[in-house]
Amino acid sequence: MENIIEIKNITKEFRVPDRREGLKGSIKDLFSRRYHTVKAVDDISMEIKQGEIVGYLGPNGAGKSTTIKMMTGVLEPSSGEITVNGCVPYKNRTRNAQNIGVVFGQRSQLWWALPLIESFKLLKDIYMIPDEQYDEMMSLYGSLVDIEPLLHKPVRQMSLGQRTLSDILAAFLHDPKIVFLDEPTIGLDVSMKAKIRTLIAELNRRKNTTVILTTHDMGDVDALCERIVIIDHGKMLYDNDIEHLKKFFGAYRTLKLRVRGDMEQEAQRIAEELPMCSVKTDDNWISVLVNEDEQKVVSVLSQLQNSHDIRDMQLEEISSEEVIKRIYEGGVE
Amino acid sequence: MKLKKFLALTRAGLIESLQYRLAMFVMVIGNLLYLTVVYFLWKSIYASAGGGTVNGMTFTDTLIYLVLATALFNFMEMYTVWEIGRNIQTGKIVLDLLKPMSYRSYLFWSYSGTFVTQFFATFLPTFIIVALLTHGAVPIGLNLLWFAVSVVLSVVINFSIDFIVGTVCLYTESIWGINIMKQVIVLLLSGATIPLAFFPEGLRKVVDCLPFRSVYDAPLTILLKADPTVGEVLPVIAMQLMWALVMTAAGCIFWRYSLRQITVNGG
Repeated sequence: MENIIEIKNITKEFRVPDRREGLKGSIKDLFSRRYHTVKAVDDISMEIKQGEIVGYLGPNGAGKSTTIKMMTGVLEPSSGEITVNGCVPYKNRTRNAQNIGVVFGQRSQLWWALPLIESFKLLKDIYMIPDEQYDEMMSLYGSLVDIEPLLHKPVRQMSLGQRTLSDILAAFLHDPKIVFLDEPTIGLDVSMKAKIRTLIAELNRRKNTTVILTTHDMGDVDALCERIVIIDHGKMLYDNDIEHLKKFFGAYRTLKLRVRGDMEQEAQRIAEELPMCSVKTDDNWISVLVNEDEQKVVSVLSQLQNSHDIRDMQLEEISSEEVIKRIYEGGVE
Repeated sequence: MKLKKFLALTRAGLIESLQYRLAMFVMVIGNLLYLTVVYFLWKSIYASAGGGTVNGMTFTDTLIYLVLATALFNFMEMYTVWEIGRNIQTGKIVLDLLKPMSYRSYLFWSYSGTFVTQFFATFLPTFIIVALLTHGAVPIGLNLLWFAVSVVLSVVINFSIDFIVGTVCLYTESIWGINIMKQVIVLLLSGATIPLAFFPEGLRKVVDCLPFRSVYDAPLTILLKADPTVGEVLPVIAMQLMWALVMTAAGCIFWRYSLRQITVNGG
């Protein structure tokens, strides 16, 4: 498979004025300004293949949007090379625009006062979509979502969910090679989120569209992405599939127990018996964090069964949400 | 084929502006109020001047000129500066930049639909009322044809001025002051608030060298001339054409330069 996006060591620096404090400082700022540079993106490289769905994650301000803006051609990298679909995006922004679609969860590219169908017709003309392709796309949409009631509704009267759905449809309309989705499920209810995830997965499958998805909702990632890229402070922290992510810390699982007797005391005894594991208690459960690379959960359990009267147990996988949270908080070397 | 994408934008703008009936109604009323103020203001100016003609213009001349200037203003004002400023502040500009056409064309053609509604909602009614009320003080003839040509050029120049001022918003990130300043300068120096004939000699010479008079004064001069000869009209049109080209080029270059600054330094 071909690489549709190739990024080699891109860096993006911004020049930010140092603002002085107070009225006096503001007046001084009018005449002389000092700047410092901020590295929003620092030496990032990646290759993305046609048809992949890549989850692009990072805490707020990590440099995600900046990277996306460079891929779309709105920003020019300070150094490094970037090609999208064979051309350099910031040099050929208008040409590149023909091959990409974008959805920014917070804003809409649709015409506010017009019924959705008018926006679609307009996009058809702007992107010069041939009639057959347009009709094919519309019938595909019809088979994937209940689009009919939306088509004749002005966008400003739509609920946020309907609008986001419409925006996603609009971004895919000209059958672009790549679609950038920036937090598409932000602020949506559970059922709408599910609908939108199914829609994205289905469009990706049918049209082999590459999807770059930034989100803070791990549900999106679990449902859609096989590969994730995590950045923070502009630096790449992780680029691999989601399975590896969980092993990133070693294979942790949490064993939760309820035992007869005083929970606090029992917990202390368990902690002494199992020096390798960390043990915590709350009112209901004693939680034992087990690293499966060192000791299997099953053996831990059988060991504990001999010395304690276990009444109930639960086993918890470490969630990708937990993993990401720990990466963001700097728990990774 | 290329034209189709632009006309599609015109069409959308047209439908969009027709959605807001109340806004249109308010605009017609506001227009009438403004004209009433203009009427009484100039009536008292002429009364204090002792009547007759002032600076070679009678009261009727002045009034027709100003009323039509207002109508023209309502027709041409595109609120481009607002639009660009707002797009920058909300970040919507990113979406517009990602359309497969230049931002300048996108902006112009998105707005162009409103020209059609404005023409029928403000300019045409005003023109007809003025023509009827003044009993033939507005000549009807070949001048209308020249006027049409002249207005098209005015629209281009006006848009270019707006676009340049709008580009400044990329740097300042504030709109209000800049927009007000632009509006006052354009309306004053183009002769839309006070006919150019009333300007002192020195100021008029300055105004002659600026693009603004090609926006309002040029089409109005042509419109108010009965059976203009080609010799009379051509210099005016040529001047407009020159400004249209210069301002468009300046706008494009300034925008491209600024956008590069922004994409390089971040915005």
